[in-house]
Amino acid sequence: MPVAASAIYFLNLRGDVLINRTYRDDVGGNMVDAFRTHIMQTKELGNCPVRQIGGCSFVYMRISNVYIVIVVSSNANVACGFKFVVEAVALFKSYFGGAFDEDAIRNNFVLIYELLDEIMDFGYPQNLSPEILKLYITQEGVRSPFSSKPKDKPVPNATLQVTGAVGWRREGLAYKKNEVFLDIVESVNLLMSSKGNVLRCDVTGKVLMKCFLSGMPDLKLGLNDKIGLEKESEMKSRPAKSGKTIELDDVTFHQCVNLTRFNSEKTVSFVPPDGEFELMKYRITEGVNLPFRVLPTIKELGRTRMEVNVKVKSVFGAKMFALGVVVKIPVPKQTAKTNFQVTTGRAKYNPSIDCLVWKIRKFPGQTESTLSAEIELISTMGEKKSWTRPPIQMEFQVPMFTASGLRVRFLKVWEKSGYNTVEWVRYITKAGSYEIRC
Amino acid sequence: MTGMRGLSVFISDVRNCQNKEAERLRVDKELGNIRTCFKNEKVLTPYKKKKYVWKMLYIHMLGYDVDFGHMEAVSLISAPKYPEKQVGYIVTSCLLNENHDFLKLAINTVRNDIIGRNETFQCLALTLVGNIGGRDFAESLAPDVQKLLISSSCRPLVRKKAALCLLRLFRKNPDAVNVDGWADRMAQLLDERDLGVLTSSTSLLVALVSNNHEAYSSCLPKCVKILERLARNQDVPQEYTYYGIPSPWLQVKAMRALQYFPTIEDPSTRKALFEVLQRILMGTDVVKNVNKNNASHAVLFEALSLVMHLDAEKEMMSQCVALLGKFISVREPNIRYLGLENMTRMLMVTDVQDIIKKHQSQIITSLKDPDISIRRRALDLLYGMCDVSNAKDIVEELLQYLSTAEFSMREELSLKAAILAEKFAPDLSWYVDVILQLIDKAGDFVSDDIWFRVVQFVTNNEDLQPYAASKAREYMDKIAIHETMVKVSAYILGEYGHLLARQPGCSASELFSILHEKLPTVSTPTIPILLSTYAKLLMHAQPPDPELQKKVWAVFKKYESCIDVEIQQRAVEYFELSKKGPAFMDVLAEMPKFPERQSSLIKKAENVEDTADQSAIKLRAQQQPSNAIVLADPQPVNGAPPPLKVPILSGSTDPESVARSLSHPNGTLSNIDPQTPSPDLLSDLLGPLAIEAPPGAVSYEQHGPVGAEGVPDEIDGSAIVPVEEQTNTVELIGNIAERFHALCLKDSGVLYEDPHIQIGIKAEWRGHHGRLVLFMGNKNTSPLTSVQALILPPAHLRLDLSPVPDTIPPRAQVQSPLEVMNIRPSRDVAVLDFSYKFGTNVVSAKLRIPATLNKFLQPLQLTSEEFFPQWRAISGPPLKLQEVVRGVRPLALPEMANLFNSFHVTICPGLDPNPNNLVASTTFYSETTGAMLCLARIETDPADRTQLRLTVGSGDPTLTFELKEFIKEQLITIPMGSRALVPAAGPAPSPAVQPPSPAALADDPGAMLAGLL
Repeated sequence: MPVAASAIYFLNLRGDVLINRTYRDDVGGNMVDAFRTHIMQTKELGNCPVRQIGGCSFVYMRISNVYIVIVVSSNANVACGFKFVVEAVALFKSYFGGAFDEDAIRNNFVLIYELLDEIMDFGYPQNLSPEILKLYITQEGVRSPFSSKPKDKPVPNATLQVTGAVGWRREGLAYKKNEVFLDIVESVNLLMSSKGNVLRCDVTGKVLMKCFLSGMPDLKLGLNDKIGLEKESEMKSRPAKSGKTIELDDVTFHQCVNLTRFNSEKTVSFVPPDGEFELMKYRITEGVNLPFRVLPTIKELGRTRMEVNVKVKSVFGAKMFALGVVVKIPVPKQTAKTNFQVTTGRAKYNPSIDCLVWKIRKFPGQTESTLSAEIELISTMGEKKSWTRPPIQMEFQVPMFTASGLRVRFLKVWEKSGYNTVEWVRYITKAGSYEIRC
Repeated sequence: MTGMRGLSVFISDVRNCQNKEAERLRVDKELGNIRTCFKNEKVLTPYKKKKYVWKMLYIHMLGYDVDFGHMEAVSLISAPKYPEKQVGYIVTSCLLNENHDFLKLAINTVRNDIIGRNETFQCLALTLVGNIGGRDFAESLAPDVQKLLISSSCRPLVRKKAALCLLRLFRKNPDAVNVDGWADRMAQLLDERDLGVLTSSTSLLVALVSNNHEAYSSCLPKCVKILERLARNQDVPQEYTYYGIPSPWLQVKAMRALQYFPTIEDPSTRKALFEVLQRILMGTDVVKNVNKNNASHAVLFEALSLVMHLDAEKEMMSQCVALLGKFISVREPNIRYLGLENMTRMLMVTDVQDIIKKHQSQIITSLKDPDISIRRRALDLLYGMCDVSNAKDIVEELLQYLSTAEFSMREELSLKAAILAEKFAPDLSWYVDVILQLIDKAGDFVSDDIWFRVVQFVTNNEDLQPYAASKAREYMDKIAIHETMVKVSAYILGEYGHLLARQPGCSASELFSILHEKLPTVSTPTIPILLSTYAKLLMHAQPPDPELQKKVWAVFKKYESCIDVEIQQRAVEYFELSKKGPAFMDVLAEMPKFPERQSSLIKKAENVEDTADQSAIKLRAQQQPSNAIVLADPQPVNGAPPPLKVPILSGSTDPESVARSLSHPNGTLSNIDPQTPSPDLLSDLLGPLAIEAPPGAVSYEQHGPVGAEGVPDEIDGSAIVPVEEQTNTVELIGNIAERFHALCLKDSGVLYEDPHIQIGIKAEWRGHHGRLVLFMGNKNTSPLTSVQALILPPAHLRLDLSPVPDTIPPRAQVQSPLEVMNIRPSRDVAVLDFSYKFGTNVVSAKLRIPATLNKFLQPLQLTSEEFFPQWRAISGPPLKLQEVVRGVRPLALPEMANLFNSFHVTICPGLDPNPNNLVASTTFYSETTGAMLCLARIETDPADRTQLRLTVGSGDPTLTFELKEFIKEQLITIPMGSRALVPAAGPAPSPAVQPPSPAALADDPGAMLAGLL
């Protein structure tokens, strides 16, 4: 396995080092200065997550108000590096409970150092599972006052956990009420031309689970995906049910899923870790149900006036509704004066992002709403640069709707003791980058 | 500005931003806000407008793009109250530049403020114009500003600003300021008492004088007076005294202005000035306070340049040098640097050299300074001050220094040492010593040129040879020597090793063994040199030494299969030659003397020189002819010293004016050379035929090291040639002669091209008739008028050109057919006299029409049965002519055959038994001769391709002669590319017909054949 990191730095937005850990001595100590002068203080920041300066690669990402920078000097696995950062942040969050930001880091120096020691050795990522680590790094983070933490008794048998067959689950868990929560979260990415042709469209989804189950249960999940259904009908030698089947691309599973069973029977069966985890991820490119249609008309009237008309239609079921709908309509930089008329929600001009921001708190299905605006521009020096017309962006959340049409058919739980379980299933669709050219 | 809460809140917001992004968001928000407010004109009170414009300025200063609101800023200029007006002026001068159209709107307001009565407003307006005023401002405001400057009622504050404003206007548009009578006013201004106004006015004067010193000659005594006043510290208020120095700025400016005047004639003024300079030179010293030093040294160095400029008395010069000598002994590195640098400049005034020599030891100490820039200056100075008397010391010092100098300097150092040793060598053995020492100490940094040069010297001086050989032998005893040393020693020992034969340890075999030890350590390029040396040693071994021969042959054998071709070839050849005995002696005789030429080292040094002030050294280096060359050769060499390139500046060579032009790069106007005699040989040749003017006048900057390439052009310092004089100049595209030559061989192509017109030609030939079409294409977007084309036909051609239209419309092409008829054979060509008018320029050209002799030839292939009877039928002169042509451009036979075929003289292959000969035939058409068969035979000498024998025969004596001459011209002149085809212009040998001599017949098989035929 290639190296993922030679050193890791946590910086605040000003570029001061909050905390750092060097794993290999092939990078110098002043690397962070190079990062500060060559990346943070230029406009490049945010454009490209991997930069090479003087033989060192800087792999960085920003999480809330912290930059996490991985420095490597060899030919490293960048994806592994990013994954490591994401997992590490999830781990820290599970320790401090809640937010990961500058203050949280400052409050938990000792803990973070201890964790950083544990999760990577000589540049190679190690076990990052919070459940396991909590067994032997028992130090508690300083929690933010708002989060509460369920007290549970850890069994300090780290060796078994790391080497055992079911490394992700402790033995002997017992809950009074056995519950499973299943969330399917999808985000829709769309790029549409001004005439309404779909140029690019896909859905990335994940199945999140939260288990409070006693003992060592064996779970089996059935979805209305194509391969699973076909296999099922083949095994039961009965024709596949007519109805919608979904073709999933790029499926990845949590380590607990039994892949041999998936390969042979195409069923997702697993012994879940305790608590929250991401069971699987997938992508869908065919047959996406778009929740919203946007019809923009933007007219430039002479040098100093513009007319904007945007109609948004919701095309999901009438009983459902979308929450937190935000439509960002770009306008030229010289915008001086705006005049709105909206059927629902509120709109205003935000000069710092050069957009008209139209917010609708609740948007029922099968309805439409429009915004019309008149914009006056200020005249500028020199010849007017033609406006590039960036795309309209949209944000939303639609509960109980999946853009892919994915449904949970069943979720079966077997345990030796044969207790009853309660299963909860939720669906939610969010906007990824939902863009409409105008 | 107080009480603008919004502004201070905004500024503190921006300052409190944690990072760049937050700042950008805040600024964008504010810009949006400002845009909204500017759009709603109803709510825009003057206060708000002022506030937002201040904010815009702040945002602009932070580096963000502010591309609106300039209108508001400009409109504030016309506000009645000071706070608004101030904002308007400040923001306008920050956000706009002279090219913005918005400024035109403000001109009138600004003018009102300038001619108004309010002093503060006047100051604001003058400052704005002084900062961003453009040409428009210069035209409309210059008189007003001048009035302000000379008005007696204005306060000095306003007049100061007016002077600086006028300076800006002058720079934008000199004509607006240089009006009648202004020179006198300027002189009056210099009588001013107030030093502030005086300083500003002197700045203006410097600019004015640099442009035209004659008009302002009345200001010269005034400048001297100002200097006197300052030097005596009379009437200098406290606020203009800087560390006890009365207004150093004004002093420097006044002296700078004086340097623009060529000389000072008035003896009393001159005397007064020298008194002042004397006082400055005497009164300056190095003190503790840095600021005081800076000020006093600025004055001092300006005074030094003035002294150099004025060509002062020797006494004063020596005083200057003494002062500089004091400077270079100071510990402070900055001062020492200045001292060394100025001493180098002083060197250009040659007569101070002796005085500078007194400081030699001090300069040599500077060579060991820890600061590299000082070391470099010291090196330059040493190089510059070196002459015969001190060369030995300096070169030895340089050699000593070489071993401690840092690597970056060593190459330059070794080159300079080599040059000095060569130029000022008291005797040649010393020179050899120095160079060998140099190679020994800094082998890596000694370029090949240096050792080539020493070999040249040794070869050319017989007395030197034994000494050099013994020296080389000594060096070979050292354990580790540099490869360059191996090269030079091997060469010298090979050539002159035998001269040492009597000395112990110097027999051929001993030399061989000692050299052969070095062989394994050297790189490929050195091995061939060693092989040659072995061969020479072998040859010189007296009596022949079989032992040595065996060893050397073994080496040759070993390298016979070397992968390097050069080594392999030498090994094989030397091996074979060495078997030959006496022939070997002939081949490997001593090298002949080298022809004298300019030292390649000096050339190289010229290229190495980098900075402008170093060119002074270069000048000197060129003015002192290398006496080593004279030393090198006992008898005076013709033409030596080689023609050194001394640049002619300002039409005079006196070093003082050179110094002036070098030390003052303020001469802002570059001059256009009036009538440069074109150095182009070609245009001389084409003189009567081609375009009359030289191809474009070249312009040179007045300053700078023009001499680097030795352009023999005269550069006149003051003459600015009006543009109208150059009307007839068009730059040609392509070479007319080359185009003509190409058209002689083909039937269509471009005959002439310049930026306005292109003339193409297309021809068809049938018998003695020809039809040409001239295509004249106008390349411009405006019409060419008065187009005229006239044919000047020679006697043998009848030409008929259809009328050419008077005007060629833009981007159009006109055709004009031309009928040609050939009456009798001749090589003369027709000339087209062509002219047109573009704008006011008349361009005319005389172009040769490619209706040459060969156009009336038609290819004809003959068999041997047809050829030989015809050849025999044409008997002797004048029908058959023979000539030996020398100086032919060497051509391989197939190439020559192609050349003949290309002008329609067909080569008949296989007719002549000798493969080195060519036989050709063709048919000529003209009205008088009709179709006429022509035959030709070319006998070439495979050993010497530059000569051949040409025999031409036909039924007509004129035709025979003309054709023979034509072929001869083609063989001699045409292949050279661009020579003219004008009759009698070619340097062809005299057309004396040489009858074949019997002697030639006897031993030349070709000639025997000719006789037989």
